[in-house]
Amino acid sequence: MSDVSIEAPAQSKKPTIFFDGVSSRKRQVTLTLGDALEIVEEGAEPVRWAYADIRRADSPAGVLRLASTSAPPLARLEIRDAALAADVTARCMRLDEHQTSRRGIAKIVGWSVAAAVSIVCVVLFGVPLAADRLAPLVPKPVERRIGDAAEVQMKTIFGRSVCEDPAGKAAFTKLVNRLRDAAGLDDTMTAGVLPTSVPNAFALPGGKVFVLKGLLDKAQSPDELAGILAHELGHLKHYDNMRGLIYNGGTSFLIGLLFGDVTGSSAVIFASRSLVEASYSREAETAADTFAIDIMHALGRSPKPAAELMFRITGKEGGSGLTNILASHPLTEDRLARMTKEDRPVSGPPLLTDKEWQALKGICGSGKI
Amino acid sequence: MNDMQWAPIGSEPLPPPLPPTRVDFTGNRSEFRKMVTKGAMLELVTFGFYRFWLVTDIRRHLWTHTAVDDDAAEYTGRAKELLIGFLIALAILVPIYLAYFLVGIEFERWQAFASVPLFVAFYAFGQFAIFRARRYRLTRTVWRGVRFWMDGSGWAYSFRAMAWGLLVFLTLGLALPWREAALERYKMQHTHYGDLTGDFEGDGWTFFKRGWWLWLLSPVALVIFPLAPFFYAEFRAREWRWWLDGIRIGGVSLSSELPHNAFYGLYWKVIGWWTLLSMIFGAYIGGATMLVVQLSGLPAEQVFGPENGAKSIPMLVAMVIGYFALALALNIVMRVYLQRDLWAKVLETVEVHNIAAAADVRGSGELASALGEGFADGLDVAGF
Repeated sequence: MSDVSIEAPAQSKKPTIFFDGVSSRKRQVTLTLGDALEIVEEGAEPVRWAYADIRRADSPAGVLRLASTSAPPLARLEIRDAALAADVTARCMRLDEHQTSRRGIAKIVGWSVAAAVSIVCVVLFGVPLAADRLAPLVPKPVERRIGDAAEVQMKTIFGRSVCEDPAGKAAFTKLVNRLRDAAGLDDTMTAGVLPTSVPNAFALPGGKVFVLKGLLDKAQSPDELAGILAHELGHLKHYDNMRGLIYNGGTSFLIGLLFGDVTGSSAVIFASRSLVEASYSREAETAADTFAIDIMHALGRSPKPAAELMFRITGKEGGSGLTNILASHPLTEDRLARMTKEDRPVSGPPLLTDKEWQALKGICGSGKI
Repeated sequence: MNDMQWAPIGSEPLPPPLPPTRVDFTGNRSEFRKMVTKGAMLELVTFGFYRFWLVTDIRRHLWTHTAVDDDAAEYTGRAKELLIGFLIALAILVPIYLAYFLVGIEFERWQAFASVPLFVAFYAFGQFAIFRARRYRLTRTVWRGVRFWMDGSGWAYSFRAMAWGLLVFLTLGLALPWREAALERYKMQHTHYGDLTGDFEGDGWTFFKRGWWLWLLSPVALVIFPLAPFFYAEFRAREWRWWLDGIRIGGVSLSSELPHNAFYGLYWKVIGWWTLLSMIFGAYIGGATMLVVQLSGLPAEQVFGPENGAKSIPMLVAMVIGYFALALALNIVMRVYLQRDLWAKVLETVEVHNIAAAADVRGSGELASALGEGFADGLDVAGF
C-alpha cells in the first residue's frame, strides 16, 4: 500500500482518546492515516501530526500513548486498539528515538567508570600531593585558629586546664626546649600536660603539643617521654595536622562525590574513607618515627625507650581503646623492632636530672586525677 | 462545586452524586523486580551514578501504571534533569560546607562543641530540599494531558517545619500530628492541577485521636523490640489513611479505607529478608575469615589486629564484595516491598470523589528545576 493513499479509517470498538495538552478534556477522536496522522474530533478542526515528530510516551500495557514534538508538550493521543496501534507504529520511524537505549546505558556505565577511575586516581595520588604541597603554605594565623578550636575541645574532653606545678613545668619546658632546638622548630610552639589518666600524647595545628598525665605516669625515664615528644614534634615539623586536614577533607569530599552523598554519612563512604585515611596516617606516623629517631640520635640518646613505653601501654591496654597515639598507627611491635635496630649507646648527656624527672612526674600534683 | 450552582435551590432536584471512582494500579510485580534488580547492578558498576536513571525508571513505572478514572498518569521527568540538579546542588553545597567548617572553627574557639547547633542549619536546608524536590516531582506528574504544579516558597516551608519541629521536640512528639497537618496544609494549598488548587482538610486532632496510644506505648516497643515493627506499621497505616482522607484538589476529594494492619506483612517481610540476608552475609564473612586464617597460617588475632592493614587485604576485599552484595540485595528488597508493594496496597484502598470536577481543567504552571532533588540527594533527606 502506498503512503499517499488515504485509508478508510480503521477505527474499532475501543475508543481512541486525544488530550490536546491545553485542557484535561477527554476527546473521542478518529484517526486518518494520510501523509500525516490526522486526529479528527467531531465538530472541531482536525489536528495533524507529522509521522517524523511522533514519539512514544509512557503508558500502561494495552495502550499506545503518543506525543508529538511539534504539538503542545503534554498533548497525548491514546490508542487502545491493537491493530490501529500497529498501523500507526509502522508509520512512525522515530517513535523510540528519545528513549534510553542499550547504547545509552553503556554510555552511562562507561562514563561513570571513567569518572570513578579518575576520582580514585586523584584520591590515591592527587590529594596526597596537594596536601603535601599546600600544608606548608597555610598561613600560620589560620593554622593557629584551627589549633585553638581543637585545643578548646581537647581541654573539654581531657579536663580542665594544663598542669602548672612550677618545678615540674620548669623540667618539662627544659625537656621540650632541648627537643625543639634539635628539631629546628621555632619558639612559637607550645607544650603542656593535661591532667587525665589516658596514656596518650598529641600534636595540634599551630604548634601545640599535649602530653596526657597517663602517659607521664607510665613513663619510667626521661628518654621514654622524650622519644614520644620527638615523635609529636615530627608531626609539627611535617605539618601533619594540616596535611591530614586537607587530605581527609579532600578524600571525603571526593569519595562522597563518587557515591553521591556530600555529607559523607553512609557506610560505604565511611568504610572507604577509613581505609584510605588509615593508610595515609600510617605513612605520616612512620615519617614521624623516623624524625624522632633522628632527633634522639642528634641528642645522643637512644630512641628505643620510647618504643618500649608504647609497648608497655599497648600491652596493658590490649591494643585497643587507645585513641590518638596507637590507632591508625603502625604496629607497636614493628615500631619497637625498628627503634631497637636504631638503638645506639648513649653518647649525650641525660636530658633531665633525676630531680627534674621526679618534679616532672609530679607536675599535676599528686593523686588528683 | 455542586453547591456553587446558579440555579436557585429547590427549583431542580440535584442529581444523585456519582459513585466514587477507584484508583487502579496495574503494574506487573515481576517486571518491577527485574527493573530494580538490573538497576541495582548498574548502580553498583557505576558507583551509584545510575541512581538518577533508576529512580526515574521506578517513578515512570509507578506513575504509568496508576490509573485514575481509567486514565493512567505519566511521569515526564528524566534522569538527565536529576543529574544536572545534583551537579548544581553540589556547586552550591560545597561552598556552604566550607563556610560551615570555617564558622564551626570560630565557634569552637569560643566554646567547645558550640558549633553543634550549626547542624540545625543543615536540617533547615534539608526541609527546603524536601519541598523543592516535591515541586519537581509534581511538575513532572501528568494526567490527561495536564500537569500538576506548585507555588509557595521552600524557605517559608522550611521555617514552618523548623518552628513546628521545635514544638514537637519540646512536647516529646505529642505535637507531631499538628505539625504534619500544618505542613501538609501548606504543601497542598500550594499544589495545583492545571487551574484547580489543592487543599488539605485533615486536622491534627483527628490524627492524634487515631494514634495517641501508639505514642504512649512506644516506650514498650523499646523494651519488647519485636513489637516495634507492629507499632511502626500501625503508625504508618494510620498516617497514610489520615493523609489521603484530607487531600482535596479543586472539587475532587480522596478517601481511603486503608486498614490499620495493612503494613504488618510488608514490614515483616522486609525484616525477614533483612535477617536472612544478614545471616548469609555473616556466614560468608565467617567462611572468608576461616579461609584467610587457614591460608596465611597466622593466628587469628594477629591477622585481624587493629593495625594490620596490609596483611588483611584479601579479607578486606572479601568483605567489601560481601558488603556490596548485601547492600544491593537489601536495596532490591526495600524497593520491591516498601516502594512498589506499599504503593499498590495504598492505592487499592483509595476512592476518588467527584472526579467530574477535573473533567475540563485548563493546563497551567511552569516546570520546576530538579535543584531540589539535587539538594535532597546531596543532603541525604527524603520526604514527600
